[in-house]
Amino acid sequence: MAFFDVSSAKKTTDFKNEYDVAIIGGGPGGITASIYAVQAGLEPLVIEKALEGGQMNNTDKVENWPGFSSISGVDLSEKMAEHAQDHNVKITNAEVVDIKPGKMKTVILDNGKETKAHVLIIATGSNPKKLGVPGEEKFSGKGISYCATCDGHFFRNKHIAVVGGGNSALDEALYLAKIVKKITVVQNLPDLTADKMLQKRIKETGITDFIYNTVVKEAKGNDKLDKLILKNVKTDEESELDVDGAFVFIGMNPNTKFLKEKVELNDYGYIITNDHCETNIEGIYAIGDVREKEVRQIVTAAADGAIALLDASKRYFQ
Amino acid sequence: MAEQLLNKDVRKQVVEILGNMDGEVKLLLFVKDKDCEFCDTVVSLLNELTEVGEKVTFEKHNIDSEVAKNYHINDAPAIVLLTPEGKDKGVRFYGIPSGHEFGTLLQDIVSFSKGALSSISEESQKKITGIDKDIDIKVFITPTCPYCPKAVITAHNIAMLNDRITASMIEANEFKELSVKHGVSSVPHIVINDSVEFVGAYPEEQFVNEVLKAV
Repeated sequence: MAFFDVSSAKKTTDFKNEYDVAIIGGGPGGITASIYAVQAGLEPLVIEKALEGGQMNNTDKVENWPGFSSISGVDLSEKMAEHAQDHNVKITNAEVVDIKPGKMKTVILDNGKETKAHVLIIATGSNPKKLGVPGEEKFSGKGISYCATCDGHFFRNKHIAVVGGGNSALDEALYLAKIVKKITVVQNLPDLTADKMLQKRIKETGITDFIYNTVVKEAKGNDKLDKLILKNVKTDEESELDVDGAFVFIGMNPNTKFLKEKVELNDYGYIITNDHCETNIEGIYAIGDVREKEVRQIVTAAADGAIALLDASKRYFQ
Repeated sequence: MAEQLLNKDVRKQVVEILGNMDGEVKLLLFVKDKDCEFCDTVVSLLNELTEVGEKVTFEKHNIDSEVAKNYHINDAPAIVLLTPEGKDKGVRFYGIPSGHEFGTLLQDIVSFSKGALSSISEESQKKITGIDKDIDIKVFITPTCPYCPKAVITAHNIAMLNDRITASMIEANEFKELSVKHGVSSVPHIVINDSVEFVGAYPEEQFVNEVLKAV
């Protein structure tokens, strides 16, 4: 299936020195905030380093966003970006490398440009957590991957491991099941933690087996990964798993390094906010996966976007 | 009529994007007669694209031709972009620019219509224009990779600045042999002069520094 996506060409390169609201990250949270900003009569700029939709682009199917019983993550991303652009939201393609708090907040981009805004909304999401075991770095990009949609096709008819048993692990495993010959899911807990519906579907593929209570201890190979050393966490027993590749989905880390602790973070690097999603610094908000909270879903990211923007609009623009 | 690659909605958006063009841009498409699974698709794609974009034209050449030699093209399908003055800036696409990379092609076309106007920072520009050595940047991608357009665009914008730099998008599935040779199993996978290698969509400054390592 060939598809032709124009979104990366729809971004703006000429933006102004000043906006009402600068939104870092164009995932569901950032996009929602930008739409609410326009509706509040404010001018937002969205700064996105990859593609609008963020991690949704890596999601095979989204089935819990009301209005669509099932939609691909890429399609939902495109629809959200189009929605924002129909509201004349400017989206620019850049990575924010630094911010300067103050009455006007400055954001500094990787292309050397900068812009200022009265209100800053951080919606930078998170990125896949590494295993942190010997061999991982060596074989990262040489058999170990963190993105099924990106790299799945390199493992056509091969045997791969999926490390993790949560929603993102099984969603990506379901995508990979269309490509690979066999999947071994390695889960550290006694059960899978993904939604029951997803569990049922992955079992129905008939090419998946499961190893529970087990963690990866080491990645081994020559030029490329060829085996994982596993350890049973209950018995401490070690075993070897011969694989051509390993996809790691054991959780996420927040994208907050660029903030250099200029806003308050918790011990895991997530941004601490109040109920209105405002950080310890006035006029700087954090929404979506990057924020310290219980539930990280597309709908809750979108909800955060609305909450933050409506609060900001009331407090800083009236 | 054969089925169209670009649907009505995409065409509308293409018209809008190409509305930002200044001068005319010519694409040179290189194909081969045998063993080219994807050549026909790229021909269809460029037919449709030039139908929609008034200021975009394309010329088809065989990779055995003199033209191919002049542009140092020895694999197909390959696309070379030319500025309105007909200048080659070292920007190449190997394989179908499909998926998320279709947007990259459109972005490049708009930049080329403005004389290959590079969008990278002044500081990086200084570093790149100062390079006095032939540099070849290969960016291996898959069309479904959301991080890849950033890497391709950065590489292409670097090439636009210096005539000694060539930057190619390479669709890894279509150029399997080359991908295997470079051990590509995660994308974007970047190879510079076969001496510097990295995986990931680095921020601009970091990417530029990798290029400098190959000098």
